[in-house]
Amino acid sequence: MSILIDGLLAILAIYLALQSLLAPRLSQSVFLFFAFGLALALAWVRLGAVDVAITEAAIAAGFLGVLFLDALRDFSSTISEKHNNTEAIQSSASRKKIKTFLLPRLAFGVGLGLFLLISLEAIWQIPQGGGLTAAAESMLPESGVEHPVTAVLLNFRAYDTWLEIGVILLGLLAIFVTGGIKIYTKPDVVAKDPLLRQVILFFTPVLFLFGAFLLYIGKSGPGGAFQAAVLWGAIGILLHLGGKPVFAMIPRWVGQLVLIMGLGFFLLMGFVFMSGGATLFEYPKAYAGTLILIVETLAAISIAAALTAIYANLNQMKEEPKENESAN
Amino acid sequence: MDVVFIIVSIFLLLNIALGLFRIWRGPTVADRLLTTQLFGTTGMAVLLVLAGYLQELTLLNVAITFNVLAILLVIGLFQVWKTRKERSDDNI
Repeated sequence: MSILIDGLLAILAIYLALQSLLAPRLSQSVFLFFAFGLALALAWVRLGAVDVAITEAAIAAGFLGVLFLDALRDFSSTISEKHNNTEAIQSSASRKKIKTFLLPRLAFGVGLGLFLLISLEAIWQIPQGGGLTAAAESMLPESGVEHPVTAVLLNFRAYDTWLEIGVILLGLLAIFVTGGIKIYTKPDVVAKDPLLRQVILFFTPVLFLFGAFLLYIGKSGPGGAFQAAVLWGAIGILLHLGGKPVFAMIPRWVGQLVLIMGLGFFLLMGFVFMSGGATLFEYPKAYAGTLILIVETLAAISIAAALTAIYANLNQMKEEPKENESAN
Repeated sequence: MDVVFIIVSIFLLLNIALGLFRIWRGPTVADRLLTTQLFGTTGMAVLLVLAGYLQELTLLNVAITFNVLAILLVIGLFQVWKTRKERSDDNI
């Protein structure tokens, strides 16, 4: 019977993925992508990967949604300024594209086919008995945490997690580079709407508490630093939308310190224990649980700050030309 | 009992599929955004039903995550689009 749910979810996910790529209007694509995130989260739940489901829910529902809405606004203003009849132009452009871009499409199709073949072969080769699951679970008592996913992420494969934190920082750096440094200016928009004010006042503690809960529960169940970080980052985005940009209100060096704190502490700790004869990112067994919790907390704060900064800076980059116009 | 869980979750999933109609029709971004709120709520209901079916209480965390973050989209739309309200957002 449960195959019905799985089948429906699979069809829904694939249909939504295709439609979000092929939809003729951008706003359709954006919201279909949001629905795709939901279907994907449900699919992860059915596959038994609750950790991934929480991450997918947090990133698709929260962070990407807001970023896409922002992008949508940009596109809508540029297109409606330039052309009155967008539909006609879009359709004629797509007709032209079909003729001129046949070869790239063919190459893309061949590449996709090859990729599918390779992934089919990979599925074929999944070792019986669950691969490395047994090895990971046998070392679980030594990792300092009770949840196997957290043990793998922060102990057995800590190097990967460290790099992942770095990737988010790298994305932020790219925005800094393209957007310039004069980002920490305070926008004039202040939340005068009492409803908005109340919503922000209500949701800030809820988001903070639930993020902290997810962070702590990561020790013994699904949850952890990245999920908590998105929830905490949502606080920053909410405050920014309410006219209280966090990065404009704190001194710049504090912001920079918060941003690199997670990455820096992780690396410093790795080197400190390395000097004591351990390998990189190897914890002493007695303190492993506590150290993992500290690393996770700092990483969550850093990632949350990075997500906030990414959203805030993308917004600022667009405001800039308008400010120049009014100054002129 | 399992059959009830499965029928309810399939019914809820079909609800999501029907909601897609509103994303297609639009006509404004706000209409489409409301559909995503429906998806969030229905998704939470599916997760709660699945939590009962699979006897896995951690699914409740997924449901809460979805729903505390759903507010972000609404406020994002409200704050980001209100400055350009006069321009038509129908063409996108």
